[in-house]
Formats: sequence, C-alpha cells, structure tokens
Amino acid sequence: MNLAQAIAYFLREAVQNLLVGWRVALVAVFSIAVSLLTGGGFVLISGNVARLLDEWTERARLVIYLEEGVTPAEREALEARLAAAPAVETWEEVDSRAAAARLADSFPSLAPLLEEQGSVPLPASVEARVDRRSSRGEEWGLWLSELAALPGVEDVDDDEDWIRQMEGFAGIAGTAGLALGGVLMAAAILTIASVVRLTVYNHREEVATLRLVGATEFFIRGPFYAEGLLQGLLGGTLALGGLLALHGWARATLPGVAGPEGPLGRFLAPQESVALVVLGGLAGLVGAVLSLRRESLGVSETGENPLDI
Amino acid sequence: MIQFFHVTKRYPNGQIGLEDVTFRIPRSQFVFLTGASGAGKSTLLKLIYRGLLPTVGQILVNGRNLASIPRRKVPYLRRTIGTVFQEFRLIGRRTVLENVSYLPRILGASPRQRRQVAEEALDRVHLKDRIDDLPEHLSAGEQQRVAIARALVSRPEILIADEPTGNLDPDLSREIFGLFREVNEAGTTVLLATHDRHLVEEAGGRVLHLAGGRLASGGDEVGGGGAPGVDS
Ligand SMILES: Nc1ncnc2c1ncn2[C@@H]1O[C@H](COP(=O)(O)OP(=O)(O)O)[C@@H](O)[C@H]1O
Ligand SMILES: [Mg+2]
Repeated sequence: MNLAQAIAYFLREAVQNLLVGWRVALVAVFSIAVSLLTGGGFVLISGNVARLLDEWTERARLVIYLEEGVTPAEREALEARLAAAPAVETWEEVDSRAAAARLADSFPSLAPLLEEQGSVPLPASVEARVDRRSSRGEEWGLWLSELAALPGVEDVDDDEDWIRQMEGFAGIAGTAGLALGGVLMAAAILTIASVVRLTVYNHREEVATLRLVGATEFFIRGPFYAEGLLQGLLGGTLALGGLLALHGWARATLPGVAGPEGPLGRFLAPQESVALVVLGGLAGLVGAVLSLRRESLGVSETGENPLDI
Repeated sequence: MIQFFHVTKRYPNGQIGLEDVTFRIPRSQFVFLTGASGAGKSTLLKLIYRGLLPTVGQILVNGRNLASIPRRKVPYLRRTIGTVFQEFRLIGRRTVLENVSYLPRILGASPRQRRQVAEEALDRVHLKDRIDDLPEHLSAGEQQRVAIARALVSRPEILIADEPTGNLDPDLSREIFGLFREVNEAGTTVLLATHDRHLVEEAGGRVLHLAGGRLASGGDEVGGGGAPGVDS
C-alpha cells in the first residue's frame, strides 16, 4: 500500500469510527472549538489593538500649549529648540481659532458650545510630529521638562505615556488571552485523548487481530491518529465559523465598534484563520498521540504482546 | 521449521509458563501439542509468533532467531505464521470477507483482489458461499473455519492453533481437524494444541506432550528431549 492509499484508508476508518461514536466525538470537537474560539477571539482583539497602536504611533504628537501672553521672542526660542531636536520632524502652530474649529470638527456635538464660548478662547499651541524611535528614554524626558519650563510655555502634552499604557494593556490582554486559550486547549487535548482512547478500547479486539495477522504499528495507529486529527480540524473549523459569525453579529449590532472603521473592525488575517484550523488539527493529533501510548495498545515495555487486551 | 533450545518462560509475577523446553519441528510436519490445562501450551505457542519473549533459551522460526528480530520487524514474522484460537476472535461488525482479508487490505489489495484472495482462502475451508455474511449468522464450526481462512490468507509457512476445537462438539472437532490435515498436506507446518487426548489418539501422528511447563514426551526427535514431568 502506498502512502496515499494508506492515508485514504486511515481517513476512511477514522470517519467510520467518528460516525459510530459521534456523541463523544462531538464533545471533543466542541471542546476544541471553544478553546480555539477563545484564543482566536483574543487574537482578533489584540490584533486590532496592535493595529490601532500602530496607527497612533505613526501620528505620535507632541503638543506644546502656549501661555496667553506669549511674546514673539519666546516663540522663536521655542522653535529654535524644536529645530535643534533630532526627534522632532515637523511642527506647526495652531492658533486658538483653528484649535476650536478642529475640536468642533472632531466632536460635532460640542460645536454650539464652542461658538457660545467664543469669548473663552482655547490656548494656542504648537503641534510637533515626533519620530518615536528617537524619542524614548531619560534624555527625551529631560528635554521635555526643559521645554515645559521655557517662558511662554503653559504645558507640554506627550502621547507617549498613554501609548505606552495601551501597549502595556495590549500585552497583558494578549498574554492573558493566550494563557486562557492554552488552558482551554490543554483541556481540549485531554478530551480528544480520552475519546480516542475510548475508540481504541472499543477496537481492542480488532487491534489484537491486526497484530496477529502482521499489521505494522503504522497501520494499527494510523486510523486513531487520523481520528484525533479530524476531530481537531473539525473543532478548528467550527471555531473559525463561530468567530466569523460572532464578528458578523457584532458588526451588525455594534457598527461603531466592530464596523469596518471601528476599533475591532478587522477580522483575523487569512493566515491567522488557517492557523486556527491547523492548530485544531495539531491539538487533535497531540491528543491521539497521548492516548496511544504502548500500554493502551496491548504491548508491554519489553515488546511482548500477550494479546490478552 | 520451529526449534526451541532450552526455553524457559517465567512470567513477571514469577509464574513459570514453560521450563527448559527443547524440540524441533521440521518443515511441513503435523504436530499435536497436548497437556492439561496450565501445562504451558498457550505459552509455547505465543513464544513462536513472538507474542512473548523467552526468559531463557533460543527460538528459531523459519531459520530466524526470534531474539534478534527487532520489534518493528515482528509484523513481518507474523505474516509467515497463521494463528487460530479457541475463541475464534472474529470481529462481529465485519463481514466474513472483511474478517478474512485484514492483511490483504493493509497490504494495499484492491477490493476485487481482496475478494479473490478471501474466496480462495474460504474455499480451502469449504465456506465460500458465506463470504458476505456477518459472523453472528454463522454456526460455531463455521466461525472457526472463517478464523482458519483468515490464518491461511497470507499463505503462511506455519499454522498454529490453540485449542481450536475447545468450543466445538466432537463431530465438528473432527471436521476441523480434517481441515488442518488438508492444510498440512498442502505443505504448511501445523502445530495444534489441544487437551483432547481422545481426538489426538484417533488422529495419530507426532505429539509434543507438556506437563507442568516441561516437555514430558515428543521432543526427542532432536536428541535432547524434555525432562520427564509429572502429568497431572
Ligand atoms: N500472563 C500470565 N501471567 C502469569 N502467569 C501466566 C500467564 N499466562 C499463563 N500463565 C501461567 O503459566 C502457566 C502455563 O499457562 P498456559 O501456557 O496458559 O497453559 P495452557 O495453555 O496449557 O493451559 C500456568 O501456570 C499459567 O497460570
Ligand atoms: Mg491455553
């Protein structure tokens, strides 16, 4: 029998075994699906957060709010400092009217309020675009505090702090998700292992017969490995389908969050989707391997096979 | 050809299954293996197809020293040895055809080839017309004939039977013995364990007699013989 024939034989046997024991098999498939759905959900969320962070990072800003009575000389001194800093790429001045217009633009509901309050102008500011790669560490912090101490400067607002907070949060969420997914995956692997072990138990006489007539380990084990693999692949597919359905549902009900432009708007990348299914298959295979240790197939450590299984 | 040199089998729990057994069975011989229950018949047969390893001694089967066969090569040894048991060991949810053609199937035979070799084997046990039945629809004697057909399908050099008539009445037993004779006449070495002395005497031929794990008689054809044991 060549390899293709052998694999076809394994799959046929495995499908038959799954159909016969579909009730327990379903439990295993669902447990794999739940663990992958959880893990996949976290990957989806952390992937979106990472994407948002990237976008924000690209537009890392440094806003220098100016005092009301800032003098032209003080402005020049500030700009000279900005020009001398290698991390600062560009900057522009935003006068108080432009700041108000922009705020009204971003938050239309605030527009009437801003018009009313025309008498209380927003502070004028200088907005700088910063290359984040060279704007980290103590030196940068020092530079910022010097900037804040300049005459005419009211306050300095740096995105860095909260980008870092978000990164920390994304890291923790990702780790927690992976840990939770890992625990669920371990449980799912053990479930598959017991399902396969049950199949082996139900087939112990056939296994003994196969041994007697001279079947190799490869042929004896193949169908059981295939069974674990199929359960895992089914579970992975189910998880992917479930995740798609959940995301579609979230899109419909919470378009602001999961809509195409929302913070959770992006589904798993195609490679990630495939990886989810493949991971399911791998988990199933590992479960089968765990359940097919020698003893469970009626062979003792010395290689004796009393065939009394 | 089967050869035992001072073979002892001690089970892990300390039980002696076989003790210092030496004999030689030439090719194409028909040999009965007799002895009371617990005398070591099943132990001896399992040692031949490497279902067990001897604690002491050497075993040669078809010129190969079983101790030197690596575990992964054992299946190839088994393909040269057909085995039949008292309890038939047929798989209930498989048809006669499927039961008989396990080996052809894993060797990659097509469904048509499988049916053909199964038919040939079933023909030798005069059961060709039941090929598509399930075992449960067969009588005990017919089921044992299916088991024999399964053992014959690989055209083994040796056929081993462990009390194959233990579940059958005397008439059926004679019929099954007759089948083994036919198989032997076609050139296969046959080693048949039974505690039914009456049938053995009726059939005649070489008899290896075990008692308490020792060879009590029949081993002398190789010169060594077994120490006389106490027949219980
Ligand atoms: N798996 C085993 N573990 C321990 N002792 C065993 C085992 N199999 C057989 N024996 C012992 O070995 C002896 C021979 O048994 P066996 O070969 O089955 O005899 P027979 O087939 O002639 O009835 C008996 O004393 C039996 O109790
Ligand atoms: Mg016995």
